[in-house]
Amino acid sequence: MKAWHLRDIILVTILAIFMGVIFFVIGPVYTILSAALAPAGLQPLANEILLGIWVMAGPLAGFIIRIPGAATLGELLGAVVEMFLGGVWGASTLISGVVQGFGSELGFILTGYKRYNWLTLVISALTTTIVTFTWSLFKEGYASYHLGFLAMLFTVRFISVFLFGGVLTKLITNLLSRAHVVKNVR
Amino acid sequence: MNPSLKLAWVVLLALELSFTQVWTVNVVLIVICLALMIWRRVAIKRLLWLTGVPLFFASALVWSLTLQGSASHHFLIVIFTRMFVYVYLGGLFTQTTDPLTLTRSLEQNAHLPAKFAYGFLAAFNLMPKIKAEVASIKAAALMRGQVLHVWSPQLYFKAILTAMHWSDQLSLAMVSHGFVEGAPRTHAAVIPLRHRDWWLTGGSLVLIQVGLFIGLP
Repeated sequence: MKAWHLRDIILVTILAIFMGVIFFVIGPVYTILSAALAPAGLQPLANEILLGIWVMAGPLAGFIIRIPGAATLGELLGAVVEMFLGGVWGASTLISGVVQGFGSELGFILTGYKRYNWLTLVISALTTTIVTFTWSLFKEGYASYHLGFLAMLFTVRFISVFLFGGVLTKLITNLLSRAHVVKNVR
Repeated sequence: MNPSLKLAWVVLLALELSFTQVWTVNVVLIVICLALMIWRRVAIKRLLWLTGVPLFFASALVWSLTLQGSASHHFLIVIFTRMFVYVYLGGLFTQTTDPLTLTRSLEQNAHLPAKFAYGFLAAFNLMPKIKAEVASIKAAALMRGQVLHVWSPQLYFKAILTAMHWSDQLSLAMVSHGFVEGAPRTHAAVIPLRHRDWWLTGGSLVLIQVGLFIGLP
């Protein structure tokens, strides 16, 4: 199995910072969306709609760097960037980073770090949703929502993660493999 | 306090408090963090920001739990105070620790391999260049009449190509300046890890365990 070298470490960090900088514009969108949904008691929905964007660094790093741990490290570093760029959630950002990163890492573990195609991305989106949702059940008290509302939150989260972590990541990696910078493994 | 131990303390506490439901401990931690931040002279503007943001999100979360769920009053208070604990713990950490000292401490005290410590530092120093690059990718596309959004693959494609290019150059530059992976290193700045740090971390964690498990509300 491939080991981490200096170049890969720098690459995953620069990638995480790029994602952090690109997503920085999403912050105000999240706040506005939360404020709009809050009066109806639907604030968690803002989180679910946008979650896919925040977890994108994981599958993208996993797909490009292809070393065990890449997805987790990419997402964790993304959280570090957010923390030092002035995000307020601090320590819980780091924990969420590891949870989200491990969620998408599971997708790559399940395909043995050998297949890098649609299947991997779909599995990764599914594992990310399940792992992060389990975390939310405890951390944000999701466990005390009514079942119907919970099912709605889960579905929205999966769609978001699938669109950004799956479809968008696939489109990006298609461009990369057409440019011959990433090997296309079927 | 030693940065690595402080990081471990903050992360462990945030993790444990996500699974426990004792609001009195939450309140005590909020007060302690706030006092420490005032003592360390954190700017008042930052403190207000650190209070306003969780106030909005905690209220919204409690409101939606009330409308859409069946949470008890006790649990609502726990969730409300928990959001503040997260933010204050994180604020205490980021406002009193600078990234360079943290990385040095992680390498020296937590024995993170030097290739990770220096790799992270090298990349983090590119932060201003990365911001400028994202702006220039967008500007270059605009000149051709394309607007790049958060959901445009082209934006990421170009950013990734730049990232690959820069990481090649940066790692070559570090190697040519004598950086060898896994070779023993000396340190220009030594980060101390005192007995006092261990006692403070361990002692406060034990106290919090007592608070969490003696049956406080």
